[in-house]
Amino acid sequence: MSFGSNLRMFANKASLCCNVNKVTLELFSRCSTVAFLQYDKDPGPSFSNPDVQKLLKSMTRVQLEKVYKKRSVSDNTVEYKFMTSEQLEKQFRKAAERAEKLIQMPPIVKVKEDSQKVISRDPALTNFSNTKFVIADITYGVNSSDRKILVRQTDGTLEYAPLSIRKRINQIYFPHPGRKIRLPRMFEPEHLNRCLANFQYEFILDRACVQFDPYEKEYHEITTKVYNHINESKRFDDLRSTRHFGPMAFYFAWHQIIDDLLYDMIKQDYLKNGAELVALYYQLNGIDYDKSIHEKLETLVQPQSTIQSVLKPKASDDMHEEIKNAIGKSAEDFTADDISFEFIETFVKTKALKKVQLELALQALRETNDEKKKLYHGLKKAHGIS
Amino acid sequence: MSVINFAFLARPNIFRNFLKGNTSRIFSLNTTNYSTEEPPEVQEAPETVTREPSEKEKARDRTKVIPVETSIRYLKSAAYKETYGEYLVWEQYRRNHKGMFPPRKTRKTCIRKGMLSTGNPCPVCRDEYLVLDYRNVDLLKQFISPQSGEVISYSKTGVCQKRHQELLISVERARDFGYLTFDVPFREYDYSEYYNEKNESKK
Ligand SMILES: [Zn+2]
Repeated sequence: MSFGSNLRMFANKASLCCNVNKVTLELFSRCSTVAFLQYDKDPGPSFSNPDVQKLLKSMTRVQLEKVYKKRSVSDNTVEYKFMTSEQLEKQFRKAAERAEKLIQMPPIVKVKEDSQKVISRDPALTNFSNTKFVIADITYGVNSSDRKILVRQTDGTLEYAPLSIRKRINQIYFPHPGRKIRLPRMFEPEHLNRCLANFQYEFILDRACVQFDPYEKEYHEITTKVYNHINESKRFDDLRSTRHFGPMAFYFAWHQIIDDLLYDMIKQDYLKNGAELVALYYQLNGIDYDKSIHEKLETLVQPQSTIQSVLKPKASDDMHEEIKNAIGKSAEDFTADDISFEFIETFVKTKALKKVQLELALQALRETNDEKKKLYHGLKKAHGIS
Repeated sequence: MSVINFAFLARPNIFRNFLKGNTSRIFSLNTTNYSTEEPPEVQEAPETVTREPSEKEKARDRTKVIPVETSIRYLKSAAYKETYGEYLVWEQYRRNHKGMFPPRKTRKTCIRKGMLSTGNPCPVCRDEYLVLDYRNVDLLKQFISPQSGEVISYSKTGVCQKRHQELLISVERARDFGYLTFDVPFREYDYSEYYNEKNESKK
């Protein structure tokens, strides 16, 4: 068989490395005993569904300040430029586009199982060597998931390398920035628990993204552990406006534990997101609902595009604008809120697990909203606009 | 309080005081100046001592191993606060050298045969309660640049070569264990790699 131009063989101390892998696997199986919810069927198709993607992105609530927060990386240069206002606007637009890339959600796919694919059995080669041989095609420009990596076992069998060896060899020849060949000790249960206790959620998730591929079992275990911890500590704001918020919401909706997140959204007055979360819940669990709510909300609430908030001049002549700024809501927002209220309320009545808590939160928000509404109309009258 | 007076810190009382919760810490001058200005207690010591190490020698002795837990507690204590104030551990340290330009590298080590072998030990060696360890996050953080996220060079901090090596190792370990957070490189996913293939295989 020929595999491209560069063939490299090396007698790897494969047997030794396999032992290491076994140890890490054991560690993981120990930590997985604690409330590890698996995806019972492949979540890939529903996650990549454009409707779901749209909902998840909207729930993330992108804030440019958080996306472009100060990072301490070795190349941290700043460029100062003189610009006309048109150029400035163009730059803002570019920055918003780049932000879109920076909050790309890590894909959710099902766990890939190892399968043994034997190419040939050559008993004549038995005891030729007392170590395995790993043969890797290191041609430049091949995607690392397509790269051919084979193993010649000591008994002469030639087979495709298992995932753990593939990952290691790929990392040796085509290193991923930030990925370690040995598993960082941070992901061992005791250290992971400490990191969780210190609420280093974003750090753990970022590192897990780099260290693991989305189809690895360890990745699923670690992310679910983090999501569960967030669900208990209720620090959803830590992930809001990061790339991990979408997958988290997806996980909650899939496993029907959205109550706490919904409660947080209601409390923070992100009613539209609450409605979206409920819609996501219905969609993932195959429950029929009135899909027209999306259109209704869309027409009423402009997608809060971050560029506009940056570009809009602060002083405005328009009275409507001024009142809106004073109260924080416009007439459209109020009607949108009413629609969301109804939508969430039906969910709370039928499907919610923490009914009382959610109902109380809804009640409280409704009262404050009514007050704001009164104030809004009062101000309008005072300014003589009907 | 001038910079030179920071040179190193009177040892024995501090340890006891710190453990007792007593926060007072004393600065002393360099050992070379130490004998010329005679506080009364020090003068008493040589009279009583026959073979016992003098106060001066005791202050330079570094054979005692301080556990990390003590060091971690020390960095949070009032004694530490009083010694360094708002400054970082290395910020007020100045190297001694002849001429205008300091040698490119700092000295190899400040401690030889368990004793401080220099009058101006580096910021880590001079305070024996600063223990470089991966769990001692408060100390390690002081040596990491907030701009680049890398360990600051010894040409800036003045740490001796041996301690600098130790520092690099403990920072690396701390990152491995998740004690120190850092900015992870961004990973961009190619969605087609994860989703399109499946659709093809289904067909
Ligand atoms: Zn030193």
